[in-house]
Amino acid sequence: MTRFLHTGDWQLGMTRHFFSEGVQERFAQSRFDAIRKLGSIAKEEDCRFMVVCGDVFESNLIDRKTVFRALEALKDVLIPVYLLPGNHDPLNAASVYRSSTFLERKPPHVHVIEDMIPIKVDEGIEIVGVPWSSKRPLQDLVAMAITPLESVVDTVRVCVAHGMVDSISPNPDDPAAISLHAAEMAISQNKIHYLALGDRHSLTQVGNTGRIWYAGSPEQTDYNEVKSGFAIVVDLDREKVATREVNVGAWRFIERKRVDMNTKEDIESLKRWLEEIDDKERTVVKLRLVGTLSLLFHDQLEELFVYISEILGALETRTEELVVIPEDADFADFGFSGFASRTVVRLRSNAQDAGPHGIKARDALTLLVRLAGKAQ
Amino acid sequence: MKILCVRLRNYRGIEEAEVHFGPVGLTVVEGPNEAGKTSLTESVKILFEYLDSSKHRNVEAIKPVDRDVSTEIELQAESGPYTFTYLKRFHKKPETTLKVVKPKPENHTGREAHERAEAILRETIDVDLWRALNMQQGEELRQANLEKQTSLSAALDRAAGGHSTDPREESLFELIREEYAHYYTERGNEKKELQVAQRAEENALNEVASLQQQFKNLEDDIDRVALLQNDLDRFAKQEREIESEISGYQKSLDEIQKLEAALETARLKLDSERKSEDAARLEKKSRQDLVDRVNKARKEHANLEAAVASSGPAVQNAEEGLGKAEESADSAEKCRKDAETLLTLRRADFDYFNNKLHLEQLGERKERIDRAREEAAVAEDLLTSNQVDEKRLKKIQKAERALIIARAQQEAGSPSLLLRALTDLTLQIDGEQASIGKNEEKPLSVPDRVRVTIPETLDIEVTAGARAVDLSQRFEEAQEALTSACTVAGVRADPDEARNAFEERQEALRHIKNRDQTERDNLRDLTYEQLERKVIGLGKSIPVYPGERVSTPPLCFDLESAQEELRKAEKSLYEAGREWEIARDTLNSAREVRDRLRESSRETRIQLDLKAADLKQGEEELSRARARIPDDELKEKLDKSTKEVRFQEGSFRDAENALKIKGPEKVKTLMETAKGSLQTVQKKRKNAQTGLTEVQTRLKVLGEDGLHEQLHAAESRLEHVRRESAALVRRASAARLLFETMKDERDKARRAYVAPLREKIEQLGRLLFNDTFEVEVSEDLVITSRTLGGATVSFDSLSGGTREQLSLIARLACAMIVGKDGGGAPLILDDALGYTDPERLKLMGAVLAKAGQACQIIILTCMPDRYRNVGEAAVVRMA
Repeated sequence: MTRFLHTGDWQLGMTRHFFSEGVQERFAQSRFDAIRKLGSIAKEEDCRFMVVCGDVFESNLIDRKTVFRALEALKDVLIPVYLLPGNHDPLNAASVYRSSTFLERKPPHVHVIEDMIPIKVDEGIEIVGVPWSSKRPLQDLVAMAITPLESVVDTVRVCVAHGMVDSISPNPDDPAAISLHAAEMAISQNKIHYLALGDRHSLTQVGNTGRIWYAGSPEQTDYNEVKSGFAIVVDLDREKVATREVNVGAWRFIERKRVDMNTKEDIESLKRWLEEIDDKERTVVKLRLVGTLSLLFHDQLEELFVYISEILGALETRTEELVVIPEDADFADFGFSGFASRTVVRLRSNAQDAGPHGIKARDALTLLVRLAGKAQ
Repeated sequence: MKILCVRLRNYRGIEEAEVHFGPVGLTVVEGPNEAGKTSLTESVKILFEYLDSSKHRNVEAIKPVDRDVSTEIELQAESGPYTFTYLKRFHKKPETTLKVVKPKPENHTGREAHERAEAILRETIDVDLWRALNMQQGEELRQANLEKQTSLSAALDRAAGGHSTDPREESLFELIREEYAHYYTERGNEKKELQVAQRAEENALNEVASLQQQFKNLEDDIDRVALLQNDLDRFAKQEREIESEISGYQKSLDEIQKLEAALETARLKLDSERKSEDAARLEKKSRQDLVDRVNKARKEHANLEAAVASSGPAVQNAEEGLGKAEESADSAEKCRKDAETLLTLRRADFDYFNNKLHLEQLGERKERIDRAREEAAVAEDLLTSNQVDEKRLKKIQKAERALIIARAQQEAGSPSLLLRALTDLTLQIDGEQASIGKNEEKPLSVPDRVRVTIPETLDIEVTAGARAVDLSQRFEEAQEALTSACTVAGVRADPDEARNAFEERQEALRHIKNRDQTERDNLRDLTYEQLERKVIGLGKSIPVYPGERVSTPPLCFDLESAQEELRKAEKSLYEAGREWEIARDTLNSAREVRDRLRESSRETRIQLDLKAADLKQGEEELSRARARIPDDELKEKLDKSTKEVRFQEGSFRDAENALKIKGPEKVKTLMETAKGSLQTVQKKRKNAQTGLTEVQTRLKVLGEDGLHEQLHAAESRLEHVRRESAALVRRASAARLLFETMKDERDKARRAYVAPLREKIEQLGRLLFNDTFEVEVSEDLVITSRTLGGATVSFDSLSGGTREQLSLIARLACAMIVGKDGGGAPLILDDALGYTDPERLKLMGAVLAKAGQACQIIILTCMPDRYRNVGEAAVVRMA
């Protein structure tokens, strides 16, 4: 029985536009920390080696600093690590794996899979890698790699690949989609015994053999990921396979696609929900607000967002469907009867406009309410 | 507020003073300089403003010099619903008391009293307006700053019928203005922050675009590496293929080179044989040419000899032809001359008859003229004696008519005498013998006097009366007039004679006129003398012609036959002329033929001599050549050479065919092409290699620059900047909209409330100026111009006095408006109107009196005379 750690899609160097500079750095650091955590898991679990199934780097054109930090983190992983070039970091002319920075500092136990020739990892253990050499392959590279293989009798063979399996691919016409049938056939023919996949950021089993898995990204990168932040500890021999997910990630992306916002209670409720989030500084929240608010409540909501966005990793709000309408209550304490009062009447009339003029008028009214409070 | 009484103790130089003011209307406080008038107003201010314990320099300043005493200020006043007495003691034993009487009694002391008094003041009057309206010494020319006077605004608003202005609205507006000013300049231009944001966005956008381009360039480079590597492999393969082709072509070219050498040898031999053949042919031809030349000369010589022989008779024939032609020409010339002579004669004949006819005509014309002239001469004589022209005739006829009239009148008007003879008797009437038969009656008219005498019997003289005499005289005068007219005309006193003479004269005139016409008709273009000379000339020449003329041919008998003969002679001459010309042409031709033949004969002889010499030379040359090489030998030599050339031509064609089969041009072209292609491919490969190196180097250098992170960072920056910029713009737009909307509303309100103030100013001003007085008041309540009698002058251009008066009127107008409203305060004027002349002072007095009806006005002055015309006023004197 051979035990190894299956991971992928580290996406080192990834940035997110909604992060402020400081948070971006925190987010980047977490990904390097994840490498070390994977290293310690591998050690704890007594894994023989680690396979990283593509997209180790976010791009081939990343900063040297990112490569340095990645290799520095990899030094702390004490078992052989096999890195597979994926669609983000293909083995092309600009490949990060061929850069002097990488080559000069690469620790000896770190290997880059550069072709499809089986690599002997240890006695009775082989890896067949399927590296990407361009961003847009025009055929099923996995099928190309495993079809010509001979069946093995005394070796356990792990195929390390990257890309979407046709059965779950959103684009069934993709010529590069990995044929599940071909893979399962190769497994049944003892050509390979496990297909370690990368590309999908959520931990996913494919097919029924129990031998084809996506490990997912060790750190969540987006809202739509179902189960990211994991790696898989694989126990494998020719007869059986056992997989076990291990939690690695620290970041969470939460999206609420509809938050009704009409009353003070709605604001309070949202406030409570936000305050109850654990580990806020590694949580990214996206809210789509729907409803109608008075100037006063809108002001309060804005205040809440100002406060909470300072605490969260990031807060994204979509307010296209949130309408701010000046209400009588907004001017209840206004107390003016002269030209100020006539100004309010005029602006409120303009605020009825559904277009940009209306927004401008509502903004002006909000400002008026704020300054009126100050004046009084 | 109305000040009722101010009491001061130990205030500056004042030990004790108490001044009572009228609750409404005017109070004039008189006093010399330093009497403490200004202290009155100052003390009220200090009373409200400072705590009794204050050490403020303003408080210290009111302490009497050199006296360590407490200063007291006590004020009795009404303000709104309140009536109160407010006392403060400063410096020593400070104390504050406030005693409110109305609306309900209140007593306060210390700080509480101070605060309560302040509260009452603030509650009931607009302190700022109070300060703005009061005129201090030296401020006369300045208008009060009323822009932010909320109570005035409120009053004006109410006067204008609008809502009352909340004083906080101005504060709010100020806050909004500040917010607006945060983003925009006064002119509405964007301030630095907005511009910076915009620039930052542009910069971020440019940065992203630049990085995206770099990114794309790198991506392109990556693709290019693969393509270039492909190219390199392809070019290397192509190079190998072309090199193999070149080697094959080289082998063929070597063979071709050998064949080309053989061909060249054959060509040289052929050329040599051809040259030999050409030489033999040339020699043979030269001999043949010589033979031909000799033969030809011989033949030509014979021809020339024959020609010389035949030319003699031809010349002779020509000479004979010429002689005949000369004869014909002479004969023709004679005929022509005869015809000419005849024509001359016939022409003379014709002229003779023609002249004869002409002479007759001329004679007749002359005769007509002579006749007319004679008649005219007779007429001219008559005209000399006959003077009765139209004018004289008319005069005579006029006198005749007058006479007839006179006669008729005389006969009608003069007495008459009827003689009736009783027997035959003879008697004398006026001396003339008359006889009357028996029973015969004879009437007599008595124009003047009639004397009837019966001889020896009776003498009767009848005399007409005065009228009859007159008529008779007129008749005589008429008769005299007629006689006179006739005499002038040269006729007897008979009008009929005169008429006959007139007719004769007319006839004579017609003759004279006829002469002129006859002369013109018959002389035509001649003078009478010329005509006469012609008649004489022709008359002399014609009769002698027949005698002088040759006898034959005979003279024709008339003009027509002469004319006919003339025509015939002319025709004969024309025909003779033609004959003569033909004969002359024939003669010339014959002469030319003869001359030409003569010349030709001479030339032929010369040619014959020349040809004989030529023939001789040719024959000698041919003999010499044949002696050298005979003609047969030359022919043999040429045949041999021709044969050799044919042989060499065969050899050359064989060599040529052998080469042609190898296709040398094609092989060479293919070789050249292949070499060119090889160079092209090598060049391409080199370029591809260079390109690959360049791209790889670039990738190596730029690929590790972290473009990915840079681009993402730039994109994040752009998004942040955009968000911030959008938020900023949104805030600025909101501020702008709010400011502009509120300013617009505020301006509208202001425009409305300016009206009552202007109205009030004009009402007061018309007392001072006249009914045409108008002012323009700006929205910040300042007089900007004055109009008087239609002339508008800006405030600043007005005289000092007028400006002072208008400033005061504006203050009074405000005070009246606010005072009427209940929120007023006393208007204190400290020695105002220093610039105003006495006449205007009087009028200003009326203005002040009018204003005093609506509010409390306190005038402090050291010149009481200035205000003597203010009407009813309380007067307080301060020593």
